Amino acid sequence: MKFNIGDLPVLFPYPRIYPEQYAYMCDLKKTLDAGGHCVLEMPSGTGKTVSLLSLIVAYQQYYPEHRKLIYCSRTMSEIEKALAELKALMKYREEQLGHKEEFRGLGLTSRKNLCLHPTVKREKSGAVVDARCRSLTAGFVKEKKSKGEDVPVCIYHDNLDLLEPHNLIPNGVWTLDGLMKYGEEHKQCPYFTSRRMMSFCNVIIYSYHYLLDPKIAERVSKELSKDCIVVFDEAHNIDNVCIESLSTDITEDSLRKATRGAQNLERKITEMKETDADKLKNEYAKLVEGLRDAEEAREEDAFMSNPALPDDLLKEAVPGNIRRAEHFVAFLKRFVEYLKTRMKVRQVISETPPSFLAHLKEYTFIEKKPLRFCAERLTSLVRTLELTNIEDYQALQEVATFATLVATYENGFLLILEPYESDTAEVPNPVLHFTCLDAAIAIKPVFDRFSSVIITSGTISPLEMYPKMLGFTTVVQESYSMTLARRSFLPMIVTRGSDQVAISSGFQVRNEPSVVRNYGNLLTEFSKLTPDGMVVFFPSYLYMESIISMWQGMGILDEVWKYKLILVETPDAQETSLALETYRTACCNGRGAILLCVARGKVSEGIDFDHQYGRTVLCIGVPFQYTESRILKARLEFLRETYRIRENDFLSFDAMRHAAQCLGRVLRGKDDYGIMVLADRRFLKKRNQLPKWIAQAILESEVNLSTDMAVGSAKKFLRGMAQPFKPKDQEGISTWSLRDLEKFKEKQEEESIRQLREGMADAVIGGRVTTEGNGHPPEEDAHEFDDDELEASMMELNDD
Amino acid sequence: MFRNGVSKLVDNPSDDICPVCKSNRYLNPSLQFLINPECYHKMCSTCVDRIFTSGPAPCPVPHCGKTLRKRGFHKAFFADLAIEREVDVRKRVGAVFNRRHDEFETLLDWNNYLEEVEGLVFDIVEGDVKTRTIAEEKLRMYKEANKGVIEENTRVGLEEGELERRREKAEREAARQRRLAVLREEEEEKADMLKTRQSVLDRLANEDVDANTIAAQAQKIILKKTSARRALKDIPIQSNGSAMDAGLTIRGLKKKEAPAPEKPYDPFGGLDLTPARYVLQDHYENEWLGGAKKDTRHMAGGYSLQEYYARTMFEAFSGLGVFIEDEVTDRNQQPQAVVAPAVETAAAVQAAVSKTKFERNMELDDVF
Repeated sequence: MKFNIGDLPVLFPYPRIYPEQYAYMCDLKKTLDAGGHCVLEMPSGTGKTVSLLSLIVAYQQYYPEHRKLIYCSRTMSEIEKALAELKALMKYREEQLGHKEEFRGLGLTSRKNLCLHPTVKREKSGAVVDARCRSLTAGFVKEKKSKGEDVPVCIYHDNLDLLEPHNLIPNGVWTLDGLMKYGEEHKQCPYFTSRRMMSFCNVIIYSYHYLLDPKIAERVSKELSKDCIVVFDEAHNIDNVCIESLSTDITEDSLRKATRGAQNLERKITEMKETDADKLKNEYAKLVEGLRDAEEAREEDAFMSNPALPDDLLKEAVPGNIRRAEHFVAFLKRFVEYLKTRMKVRQVISETPPSFLAHLKEYTFIEKKPLRFCAERLTSLVRTLELTNIEDYQALQEVATFATLVATYENGFLLILEPYESDTAEVPNPVLHFTCLDAAIAIKPVFDRFSSVIITSGTISPLEMYPKMLGFTTVVQESYSMTLARRSFLPMIVTRGSDQVAISSGFQVRNEPSVVRNYGNLLTEFSKLTPDGMVVFFPSYLYMESIISMWQGMGILDEVWKYKLILVETPDAQETSLALETYRTACCNGRGAILLCVARGKVSEGIDFDHQYGRTVLCIGVPFQYTESRILKARLEFLRETYRIRENDFLSFDAMRHAAQCLGRVLRGKDDYGIMVLADRRFLKKRNQLPKWIAQAILESEVNLSTDMAVGSAKKFLRGMAQPFKPKDQEGISTWSLRDLEKFKEKQEEESIRQLREGMADAVIGGRVTTEGNGHPPEEDAHEFDDDELEASMMELNDD
Repeated sequence: MFRNGVSKLVDNPSDDICPVCKSNRYLNPSLQFLINPECYHKMCSTCVDRIFTSGPAPCPVPHCGKTLRKRGFHKAFFADLAIEREVDVRKRVGAVFNRRHDEFETLLDWNNYLEEVEGLVFDIVEGDVKTRTIAEEKLRMYKEANKGVIEENTRVGLEEGELERRREKAEREAARQRRLAVLREEEEEKADMLKTRQSVLDRLANEDVDANTIAAQAQKIILKKTSARRALKDIPIQSNGSAMDAGLTIRGLKKKEAPAPEKPYDPFGGLDLTPARYVLQDHYENEWLGGAKKDTRHMAGGYSLQEYYARTMFEAFSGLGVFIEDEVTDRNQQPQAVVAPAVETAAAVQAAVSKTKFERNMELDDVF
């Protein structure tokens, strides 16, 4: 359908639109017009992606600036989905407009997913694929080849050089599969095609990390212009992504590997000195000049990039004491040895970067400044030495990255050394966590660089916490409710079992037999009444395992087994995907199944249980984070000190966000229906922390139920759902045809006209008085007072 | 985990056996290795006691034979003794070549200097006998030539280190104080809650009022208290923040050459009382003051016309150029005390190691 928002014509690829989609688009447009950031929460399963894409593409095509869209999503499957939506949208536009638009949309993912090279693509680990790809495609390999040396190269990559650099792939939207196929046909590398075409396309769809992780972002995303529109979809854990991208863990093992890497480097340097001393001299000369010149040689084949150097620092020259290759290797060795010594301590240590640096300086005479250049210097050295087997240096690279980060940031970071895995462990296994506490640090460059950043998800309540934590201001901050023609989902809060004992996964009571039994009863009852699939979420793997074994002892699982197949999520990804497959088969045939999974696990994040795959979701316990973790404690303290976010607020909102995320898994559209059960006493008070669309649907009568009452209302709900429901019933209420939309717009217009008219009327009255005042200049003094008085009274009227 | 331990042994088998007496950690769990910076040969503490207690003796390691004293032995900081030696050399060289960045005119000069020093260290650590002696000679010559500068720089370096330490200590202390304050506050809150609840229960038991009204009143009281507490909360933290700032500015203060000489006591606290908007004249021509100038009745009792002029003029001009609205808005818009981010990180340090549990106040029950 085609309609206008303001002056912007929007082509929407479906004959009907949801009211919240329209509202969402209007707010998006407002944000883009104003050129600011926004946070939007839209119920899951209401077509967020398609509304986003159709509005932004319309915006791009209509206005002459043609602002580029960078769409970031979290997982591969979501990226694929978005690409498919975009493709469908562009097809629809073509049909409607009657001509093909100048438009290019590309997705980017890792080399592992896109490689076509016959041997490299067979490697299983992403890191190995990356390393092998580099050894075939790096600049010096090509140089050698052109000199006539016999070196292995990648034909797919080299073919790219034969094409025009700005037209490696024709216009259109390329899904990842399509890109692979095109690459295979034309013998060109899909990965590098995508990378190099990035500055020439209208829409880029890739993972968060390409923008947030400074180690990658600098290489992949640095050429994007300032007026790009950046969208973070499924952004409810964007703060964690930011933090993880700047945190590193160092273990004894990685240090051992780093030492070996340094020794290798040393050997290579001596070799090179004997054979090709000029190269080292060249590098040295360049470094004397400054990093900026060395920068030019940096390209997509770079070994790693600097995680954090601010731009002005890059212009500076490398400090003299690490300028020579051998000096630098000795420097690295010293640093690694120091870390090894630190790891021998047998008590928990937590310190700030400045105190770490002070200690480091005292014992090893390593100053802050050369440390800061560590990552950059290592990259340069690796390039000069033309190393091919880069995976050997991974550990060394980690250490160098750590060195740079620790020397660059004084605040918002913390070093925590944990010598034992747990409090009870006897055998030491020290880990040095270098953790980022402030999510704003990683995302700051994004907000600084791009004028419009849109953060959106199904669950990002409370909306005001994100701008606070990530350090930005919003133009629009909105949470949409869900319009429904019938009550198609039933959220309930169950606080006690049938025997009136309160149920809770609280630490003190979670293993009490009465609580476990009540949870078991709840499970059995719902497994009896749920048609097809049922999903159960636990707060943690540990709790899930203990409760399952207790259920087994109580004979509850045997009871459930009569009605449903039982499947369990495990931390192992392959096992889980097998369980999921079995689950889906079971849901499509026969009695259906129960999937027991964990609220922060893989299943809860991005696997949809639409229609028969999920009719009931049962959330057992509030999914709090593991509060004994030192890193979390430090972060909570930091949040409280910096942003005045109270520990309990943060933990509670985080838990509720995850709970909502779990609940949203079963409702993937307006013709879908499902029961959502929150089973914990504590949910009662946290109800208003749920996203608006869920909180609104909870009836006052269904917040404090016992198991039997919940069963009763669930049965009633299912009976209601079993009534025939024609799509026609929804029309005009929860889905709008073009006519409904126009009607709504008319109404809105009338409303605004009415308001305008009132405003005008006021202005007319005010205006007449003023002209009167102006008409009698001699009496001006007397009238001025009158005017003011009148205006004041007008204002009061307006307020009414 | 076990594998790790094994691989460590394989990595470095000499890690647990004394090269002199061949006793190992299995037999003697308290085995401790010492080194002497003369030759960096490792031996266990028992061997050191055994060989060197009776005075200087040659190193027991074959082909070494350097004379060692017991006093020189100490524990190695690094596992890799080559690094230990390098660091010792660095300490020696660093004490001599201690120029600072601001002594150089350009960055390039400074970097060249750094490289030169690094090269010198490298010569001493890795070079053969000849280069080493040359380097040592250089070091000695430089030391002779630049005695004054070296001493000056050492002094400055020490001072800076001291300041840095003091600043860090202040930060840590501030963070600790704030943490304590928060904990105390939470406890008070909890105690308060309990008290209110108890009093409500008492009232319900003793008074003859409708239960619902009592409950409603109690709820109101609780709400009031929480909001009052919230309002209170920011104040102590802010004041602490400014106290912190004072701690931070120590760095700036210390750099001053000498404290400013004490000024004479000023009763107005530096307030300037000379009129800015008018100049007070000795005489003002005014007809109705004319009499007062001559009339003896006015002249009596020390009455001074000058005094009168001053007061009149002051009253006429006072309040000009004062805009109360502006001052009020200024006061309202006073920036909140910005808390130095360093304190927050320092606070996080303490949070990470502390044993406080959040579990306990995860759920604050309200009264009903």
